Amino acid sequence: MTAVARAWGRLTLPGKVVFTVVPLLALLVAATVIGIAVFGGAVLDILAANIGIVRFVLVATILLLAAPPIAFVIIYLEMKVIALMNLRIGPDRVGPWGTLLSTVHGLKVLMKEDFTPTGADAVVFTWAPVVVFTASILSALVLPFAPGLFGQDFSIALLYFFAVGGLTVVGLLMGGWSSFNKYSLLGGLRAAAQMVSYEIPLTLSVVGVIILAGTMSLDRIVDQQAGWLGDWFVFRQPLGFLVFFIAATAEGNRTPFDMTEADQEIVAGYATEYSGMRFGFFFFAEYINVFILSALTVILFFGGWHAPLSLPQIELALDPGSLGIGLLFLVALAPVVGTLLLGAPFYLLRSATKWWHALIIGFALFNVVVVLAVVAWATISFDWAAGLVWVLVKTFGFVFLFVWLRGTLPRVRVDQLMGLAWKWLLPASLLNLFVTAAAVVLVGG
Amino acid sequence: MSFIPGLGIVRGMALTLRRFFAPKATIRYPEVKADIPHKFRGRLQLLYDEWGTLKCETCFQCAQACPVECIDMGGMDTKGRYHVHWGAAETYGERREESALRRSGRPVPDPAFVRFAEIDPAPLEAILEEHDHDPARMLAILEATQAAYGHLPVAALKRISEATGAWYAMIYGTASYYRHLRFEAPAALDQAAEVAARRPAEDDYRAALDASLSGRRPD
Repeated sequence: MTAVARAWGRLTLPGKVVFTVVPLLALLVAATVIGIAVFGGAVLDILAANIGIVRFVLVATILLLAAPPIAFVIIYLEMKVIALMNLRIGPDRVGPWGTLLSTVHGLKVLMKEDFTPTGADAVVFTWAPVVVFTASILSALVLPFAPGLFGQDFSIALLYFFAVGGLTVVGLLMGGWSSFNKYSLLGGLRAAAQMVSYEIPLTLSVVGVIILAGTMSLDRIVDQQAGWLGDWFVFRQPLGFLVFFIAATAEGNRTPFDMTEADQEIVAGYATEYSGMRFGFFFFAEYINVFILSALTVILFFGGWHAPLSLPQIELALDPGSLGIGLLFLVALAPVVGTLLLGAPFYLLRSATKWWHALIIGFALFNVVVVLAVVAWATISFDWAAGLVWVLVKTFGFVFLFVWLRGTLPRVRVDQLMGLAWKWLLPASLLNLFVTAAAVVLVGG
Repeated sequence: MSFIPGLGIVRGMALTLRRFFAPKATIRYPEVKADIPHKFRGRLQLLYDEWGTLKCETCFQCAQACPVECIDMGGMDTKGRYHVHWGAAETYGERREESALRRSGRPVPDPAFVRFAEIDPAPLEAILEEHDHDPARMLAILEATQAAYGHLPVAALKRISEATGAWYAMIYGTASYYRHLRFEAPAALDQAAEVAARRPAEDDYRAALDASLSGRRPD
């Protein structure tokens, strides 16, 4: 018992929260499943009556679970792409083509000492990364990733997005202030100044889109862009898109506007005193932000889940249900046959390959083929799967653009940063707003 | 042209994109080894800095590290004060000490440098005089030196290099080519019986090793 108490005492505050919340969640899920199984329709009726709450809990859980893998993928992309642009090879040791390196980085961060400096305001210091991370996750709640695939669709979704996304500043200020370090405080203030300055052109630049779409609901904004490439808002709002993208770069603390936590410099802005997983959460939040801002760019300006060209509908000739007992045989035999067929070339063509190596390679390849086949089947069969694929493809295109910018551009000076926001982006976004409004009034949109 | 705003960014991004797709020169060393000739030891090249000045400070570290002592140099130091040129490429330990003394103004002993043993120069001078200090008759000189001293001491080779003008490395190469020339004194005669007694055991061991390796030789 004392050992348990001692272990509990050693946990940091987030650790205590996680250790309490995760079993509670598991208990809740188990209770729900058992309840549905035992009482059947009654529980489902209760859940259906409270669909809003159920949806919120479910989506928040999914987003929290999906956030680390997405961050890992983006961190890997960043390492690999910038390395290739620097004429290096980049990560290639852990996993195939080094793909697991970012995951290993995450585990490393988990194992590092989580240090609180003397004199720091421990509570605020601990909660700052939580606030930053939560703000990112909560703002992702309204993003529609596919038709019907979103957490909540407010009529004021866009307003909500910017309001909750603005909470990040609070987290950064908390981190800078509570570190008991003047450099951190300066870094926090600088971050706050940058974020607040760039939020204004960021928000104003999408007002043009709102005027054109006549709604702030992201779901309906995407619907307005249905059709082909030319219906995307980027072609009706080029200036708005430009301002939005530059401001989003600054809002996501990305190069060339990553003054707030310049990775290469010793004093890492507000995060100077952070170590271990609390620093890791700041880091995660940054990469989640990159993903979310890319997704928002796609949703607002690049047609969301709509394909650039209306693709011909493909009908699957074969209905799996019609196979009857044959389907069972197929499911049982396909892995074996697939593994053998895909592994055979490696065994036959290269004499040094051991038979069990060939089997492992064959099994891995079979898995890849099956995943691709399932994705292809889902894309053809379901609207939401096709939409998700399109949104993810476009989003990662923009993630690549962010990384590309980071691999190319040098960091701006802090006065240039502020000058760009107030002297150029703000007038440009206002101009865009007025021109759009005038055009809508004149044309009678 | 250059007044179009953002053009520099576009050009920079085009450059990084070209780099992104460019082939990479990195060789993943432990798994992949570069295909280079067996005796390739790299190319000696003097680098110039951005002002066109030689970067070499004639510190002799490269000459000291060179396994075949093929590096020799001359030049000015960084302040242009000394014209250094050392004769035959030879005892770089000595030169290192001299170089350090010249740079710092105080002796800097190099613990890695073992000074070679001195010899009585009289027989060697006689041999050199007899062969007219002619580097073309190097083999005869070396054989006579070995007859006089029992082996070829480093000090003798150094003196031969100085007197004949041949590079130490070439003299060393000549001496190491011929089986009957040796650099160390032969073993004492009373050790011969012991060595002969050890030979059957060594042969047995070698045969056993060959058998266990089944003809394959480790690289």
